[in-house]
Amino acid sequence: MHSKVKLAAAAALMAWTWGSGTALAGHDGVQVDPALKRYAGQVTALGMPDEQGRIYSFQAKRLPAAPAYVPDELRGWRLTMLAGKRFAQAFEVQRNNGSEISVSPLDGPLNGVAVNDVFVMENIAIERASSRQ
Amino acid sequence: MRRAARLAACLAFFCATGAVAQGARIPAEVVDAFHMALRKKDTAGALSLLDRSLLVFEFGAVDPTVEAYAFRHLPFDMDVAVATQWKLETRHVGGEGNERWVLSTYRVTGKQADGAPVDQTMLETVILRRSGDLFRIVHFHWSSSDPAFQARAQRQRTQGETR
Repeated sequence: MHSKVKLAAAAALMAWTWGSGTALAGHDGVQVDPALKRYAGQVTALGMPDEQGRIYSFQAKRLPAAPAYVPDELRGWRLTMLAGKRFAQAFEVQRNNGSEISVSPLDGPLNGVAVNDVFVMENIAIERASSRQ
Repeated sequence: MRRAARLAACLAFFCATGAVAQGARIPAEVVDAFHMALRKKDTAGALSLLDRSLLVFEFGAVDPTVEAYAFRHLPFDMDVAVATQWKLETRHVGGEGNERWVLSTYRVTGKQADGAPVDQTMLETVILRRSGDLFRIVHFHWSSSDPAFQARAQRQRTQGETR
C-alpha cells in the first residue's frame, strides 16, 4: 500500500512534467527537449496465457491520464518495466490497440508482470544481444 | 600531468560502451556506465545498475524508491544526458568491503531547448553496494555549484509537487 501511495505521488508529478513539451525535471533546472517520444503506462490486466502458460500481452492505461493509444502506433517501440518482478526488463511492442499491448516473443514472455506495475514505452528500437554484434 | 589525467578520465567516460553497463564490476565503472546508458537512451541498461533499495536526493527533493526515480526522473535525466556534455573533472573513491562511494564533479555544458547555454559544475555523490559479483547504486545525490541554478531547480520542484 505504501508503495502504491508513492507511485500515486509520482504519477501526480508526472502529470505535471510529462504533460509539457519540454522536460523541466532531470537534473532539474535544465530545460531540454525530450530525447525520445515516450509514454508511461500502468498494467490493468494481464493477457491470456498461451498453451505453455506464456503471456505476451496486457491491458494498460496511460500515466498520466490521456487518450487511448493509437492502434499500432507503438509497433516497434521499446517497452521497459519500471516496477515489479520484471523491473528493468525490456520488450518490443509487436502491436497495440487502444488499451492492449502485445510484445514480441523474441524477448521472452511477460510472465512475472503484475497488475499495477508501471512501464515506459519509448520510440526507439530495442537493442538485443544478437544485434549488438 | 593533471590535465592529461583529466583528459584520460574524459575519454574513458565518453568512450565507454554498452558492454561496460553489462559487465561493470568496479564502482567507478558502474557510475560511468550509468551515465553512458542515459546518454545512449538505454533505459533498461541504466536501471540494471540500480539497486532495488535506491534512494535519490536531487536538488532538495527525494525519490524514495527506485520505482519513483525510474518513473518520474530517470526519463528526464536521460533527456539532459543526451542534450548536454558531461566532462568528468574530479573523482574520489573510497569505502571498503561491500560498501563503496564515488564522488565526482562534472562540467556540464550544452544548450537548453530555448537556446540558453548550460555551463555549470554538477556535484555527484554515489554510494554503491556489492550484491553477488556486481556493485549496484544505492544512493545518488546531485547538486550544482551554481546557486541560481540550485534555487531555480528547487523552485520548480516545489511548484511541481504542489500542483
